[in-house]
Amino acid sequence: MHEISIAENLKELVLEAAEKAHLSRVSRITVCFGQMVQIVPDIFRFAFSECVRDTMAMGAELDIEIIPVKIKCRNCMEELTIQSDLFMCGNCESDDIEIIEGKELFVKSIEGE
Amino acid sequence: MSMEIKIMKNILDRNQNKADEVRKSLAEKNVLMVNIISSPGAGKTTLLEQTCRELSGEYRIGIIEGDITTDRDARRLQKYDIPIVVINTEGGCHLDSHSISKVLGSFDLDNLDILFVENVGNLVCPSQFELGENFKLALVSTAEGDDKPAKYPMLFREARAVMLNKIDLLPYTNFNLDAFRSDLANINPRIPLFPASCTTGDGLAEWFRWIRIQTI
Repeated sequence: MHEISIAENLKELVLEAAEKAHLSRVSRITVCFGQMVQIVPDIFRFAFSECVRDTMAMGAELDIEIIPVKIKCRNCMEELTIQSDLFMCGNCESDDIEIIEGKELFVKSIEGE
Repeated sequence: MSMEIKIMKNILDRNQNKADEVRKSLAEKNVLMVNIISSPGAGKTTLLEQTCRELSGEYRIGIIEGDITTDRDARRLQKYDIPIVVINTEGGCHLDSHSISKVLGSFDLDNLDILFVENVGNLVCPSQFELGENFKLALVSTAEGDDKPAKYPMLFREARAVMLNKIDLLPYTNFNLDAFRSDLANINPRIPLFPASCTTGDGLAEWFRWIRIQTI
C-alpha cells in the first residue's frame, strides 16, 4: 500500500510544478517506476486519482513507464538488463554487481494548459 | 494552449532529503540507527527484547516503535528501562523520515549509542522510505514460508543483513531452508544470514557479535 503515500508525494510535486508554470489544469502526467519498487499500476492510478480530487490535476491521465532492472558488473564492466530474481552478471557470472536502473520513482513530465 | 513541462524529479525527494538530515545529525552524535523491517508477527519485538537484554549493559540503547495504532510493543520493552518512543502511523503502512525527525528530539542523543527502529510490519512499503538509518535488517520467520527473498527482492537487496527467526519451529513447518538460502543467494549473495530463534535464544550470539562490529 505504499502506493498511497507515493501518490501523495507525487501530487505535491505535480501541483508545485503546475503552479510555477501558471497552468490552470493538468491533463497528463508521466512517471517512471523501477520494476523493483513493486508499484501496482492500477492501485497507484486509483490512489492518485483520489489524492488529486478537487485539484487542478483532477482527471489527469497518468502514464506509467516501468523500468526493468539493469545492472553494471564490476568485474567485466558489462551493463545488462536482468530479471529481478537473479542478481548476477549474465556475461561473466560475477555477483559483484551494481544496480543502475530499476529502483526509480520519478516524475518525468506534466502536460496541461 | 496545452504545454508540456519536464520535471525529472524523484517523487520521494522530500523523504530522502529529510533522511539525509537525520543521518547527518545521528552521525554527528555517533549514534548507529538500525531499521528493522519484517512482516507482522515475524518477531521484531521479541528480537528487540533479546537484544536489549544482552546489550543494554554494554550500549546505551534507544528504540523507536512504529505501530499502526497501539503501544503494545513498547509496553513489552519498558522493563529494560531504556528510552522508547512510539510513532503511531494511524493506518500508515510504514514510517518515513519526517516522522523519525520529529521524535529524534525526545532522545538524549549525547547519551545514546544505538537507536533501533521497529518499522511497521510490512515487507514492501518500508523498503522505499529511507529513515536516515545506517542500515536495514530484514527479519523473516520460518512460519511465513521460504519464498520471501524471491517475492520481495527490493528489501533483500537493500538490507545489510537478514535474520531468519523461529528456526525452532522448522520441524513443524514446510519451510525449506535450502530453497531459502538459494533464493537469497540469487538476490544478494553477499548478505550475512543469521538463522535464530528469538524465543529460545538459539543463534542470537552471532547477531550480537555482528551488531557489536557495526558499532565500531
